[in-house]
Amino acid sequence: MRHSIFIIFLLISSSLTAQVNVDSSSSKQLDEVIVTATRSPRLLANVSIPASVISAKTIYQSGSLRLNDILSEQSGIVITDNFGKGIQLQGLSSDYTLILLNGEPLIGRTGGVFDLSRIAIRGIKKIEIIKGPSSSLYGSEAMGGVINIITDQSGSRKTDLALRYGSFNTVDASIDIARKIKKTELQFFSNYNRSEGYSLKPNALQKTVEPFWRSTQQVTVSQPLGSKWKLSLLARHNNTFINNTIAVQNGGNTIVSKGFEKSNEYNLNPSLQFKINQKISSSLRGYVTGFKAIQELKIKDAFGSYDDQFSQMYKRIENQTDWQIRDQSSFIFGAGYVSESVESNRYDDLSTKRKNAIAYLFFQHEEQLSKNLTFIGGMRYDDNEVYASVVSPKAAFQYKISDKISFSLSYGKGFKAPDFRQLFLNFTNLAAGSYSVFGTDVARAEIKKLSDANLIDQTTAAFNNVSILKPEISGGLNAGMKMKTLNGIDVNINFFRNDISNMIVTDIVAYKKSGGQIFSYFNLKNARTQGVEIEAGKKILNTISLKAGFQYLNTADKEVLKAIKAGTVFERSLETGSSSRMKTSGYGGLPNRSKFSANAKATYDNNKGFFTTFRIFYRGRWGTNDLDGNGLINRADEYAKGNIQVNASLGYKLGERWDVMAGVDNIFDYKDIQNLPGNPGRVGYATLQIHL
Amino acid sequence: MRKLSITTCMLMAVVFFVSCKKDKVAVVATVTSKTVSSLPADTIVGVSNGQPVGTGKFSFFSIESNSSIASVDSNSKKWDIGLRGTTIITNAGTSGPGSGGAFVYTGTFDELKTISADSTFRTDNAPTSYAIPLGSNKGWYVLDFVTNLLSPIPGRVLVIRTANGKYAKVEILNYYKGGTTPAANATDAEKSSKQRYYTFRFTYQSNGSKSF
Repeated sequence: MRHSIFIIFLLISSSLTAQVNVDSSSSKQLDEVIVTATRSPRLLANVSIPASVISAKTIYQSGSLRLNDILSEQSGIVITDNFGKGIQLQGLSSDYTLILLNGEPLIGRTGGVFDLSRIAIRGIKKIEIIKGPSSSLYGSEAMGGVINIITDQSGSRKTDLALRYGSFNTVDASIDIARKIKKTELQFFSNYNRSEGYSLKPNALQKTVEPFWRSTQQVTVSQPLGSKWKLSLLARHNNTFINNTIAVQNGGNTIVSKGFEKSNEYNLNPSLQFKINQKISSSLRGYVTGFKAIQELKIKDAFGSYDDQFSQMYKRIENQTDWQIRDQSSFIFGAGYVSESVESNRYDDLSTKRKNAIAYLFFQHEEQLSKNLTFIGGMRYDDNEVYASVVSPKAAFQYKISDKISFSLSYGKGFKAPDFRQLFLNFTNLAAGSYSVFGTDVARAEIKKLSDANLIDQTTAAFNNVSILKPEISGGLNAGMKMKTLNGIDVNINFFRNDISNMIVTDIVAYKKSGGQIFSYFNLKNARTQGVEIEAGKKILNTISLKAGFQYLNTADKEVLKAIKAGTVFERSLETGSSSRMKTSGYGGLPNRSKFSANAKATYDNNKGFFTTFRIFYRGRWGTNDLDGNGLINRADEYAKGNIQVNASLGYKLGERWDVMAGVDNIFDYKDIQNLPGNPGRVGYATLQIHL
Repeated sequence: MRKLSITTCMLMAVVFFVSCKKDKVAVVATVTSKTVSSLPADTIVGVSNGQPVGTGKFSFFSIESNSSIASVDSNSKKWDIGLRGTTIITNAGTSGPGSGGAFVYTGTFDELKTISADSTFRTDNAPTSYAIPLGSNKGWYVLDFVTNLLSPIPGRVLVIRTANGKYAKVEILNYYKGGTTPAANATDAEKSSKQRYYTFRFTYQSNGSKSF
């Protein structure tokens, strides 16, 4: 016990030099296999870019149900709460992270945010996380990183039922069935999740989180055809339904509207694998996914109603061929075609379909240059119908000094295509000052319409610059070290820097006679994120696992930084009220970014059915909104408070068939109504699982 | 002991220099800044067409005498600036009979020591243009559309020519009662009832020169 406390202390302080003689088994993490990093199975230890794997066991023992639950417990990842649960990776927001299911992209974003709570993570095999740009392999959105959810397709026989009950009448039920019939592997998974929601403000007209339910059904089948061919299919359907009660204050009157928000998503992914010989294999993958979201609101005692419909469709066909040239040399190449379309009344009437098509090519070469040095280089070319084409290269080295220490260095380009909203949005908010936002493809025509109707007061200089949007581009550099210290601590250190250019932001293009502003989109902003992530882990006596992680993050809008250096940016003191020229040291960077975040986790598992976990998470203060009129995060009162949350769980196996587990998240009941509406405070739950 | 005496000498030297400096400053200083707190400027009295409204009357202020001026004197040279909601007028043009005017200077209050000779003072030409431009992010303030809170833009100084043609510099410090901006999550009622109270500081040069 004294030893373990000492180890925790060592891990947290990241001290590598201490000599502690504790019996330890080799860390299991290094034996893990990852596919996402190179589009082919590799040992995690041999991957030259920052990558990690979350196992099904870790997910179960943490009591995580949805993708955001488990990702929020990873070092260097922050879950944001705007348009659903978004991921922030290396300081890049949800817009710039690609979410994959078995390597196929998931679609359906609101305001650029992919809501991670849509994904049930029971019944999956593992989650792979890649940090830094991987557009050389995955194309658009793989700028901050890639999250790949890998389903269990082993076909090992099981019939598992799980039922969980928790705070706010939260019920989560799953069925997980797998069978192998002759050579056919079958897997069925179904999940139902509901909650009453909660209210952080007592007596409020609307709940902070309204009642909702979600369900997922998923089938996978795989069938070998002879010795060389294999056919597999994934079919998935996902539903969400959220009650809506919205109370708006308008001139002293409270207007309550009621309705719902629902989404419907399906995925169909047939693939055919062909092993030509020992050295060459190829796969042909088809993929169709659709996402439809509807929001309907009706104002109480009025005829008016609000109706928002968004329907997106993504079809893809892709071939990838893997060629093992020699033992030390392998080559991957592939090509694909994507057809995308969107129908939405945010853009047009629902009968107009907006479309884009993308054709792409990619290759990657991996070469072991010497006994210690491995090189990976790759490139992808994306040709688009609607916006400019993009070339995304990547190069990575790994140098192994010994089997205990290795260094890696990688540089890659990432990009994010302008989305349909930025191209086609046609939105006017009558409630808030009747401002309008027009996508670049429709802005000129819409403003001309208003101008013809004599509704435009004046256009701005920016109006003349409305043009075809270019993709947002990033360059990401990662330099890391993996080592095993003499006392058996695994340490990963990674320095990162991302330079993002052509960032798409809104700017005013015209003023209406009513005073309302009209916005459109421009490739204007240049930003950077940089920092370091440190992770350390140790296993003791094969029963105790200790892990700690830390991230330092520094972000900036480059134009702002330049202006501050030039002395043209001012700030106002909270104490005296007077203004002064701002210094770079006072600049808080991009909003919603914490400079410091850290975690520590301890798991005890006696390998006989009993486990307990104890996890601590720290998120340092982060900028929320400007209060002194300079549009920047700089003053102490412009930050949300840093906080610590503690989660714990324990579980026990009752004989062969039954598992019970229970846990408490956010034990000390930390709440921040203003800045963390998605945090309900302390939550308890219990799960019962049966293996039939 | 030797060390101590060196320290003592240095301390004495420092004291000597500091005191010299102070004497010099005292000779130069002729104008001082004054602060006006929570001056109501047509505060909200009701709601019309869903928008909170005041009575529509300007609150007049004399920089020369550092005092409020009754609205019956609106057509006189007694006042230098008039405040109504976010609108700030000067005593000239369409606003008054004086020889006032203004422009918005970018920089800090303390940095503005002399109004440069080539500066152009603008006058009000209501309703199309004002010496101090109206609107968010155009003149002296910015309105956050999310929180619905108003902040004076830092680094903006209103350079004022008084009704009698003398010069002053004004920095708006706050727009809410008590000189404190309500919290971002305050109720609409609180944000509405506390707004339109100006806290500002000004320096008036009575000798007619453009230096402060």
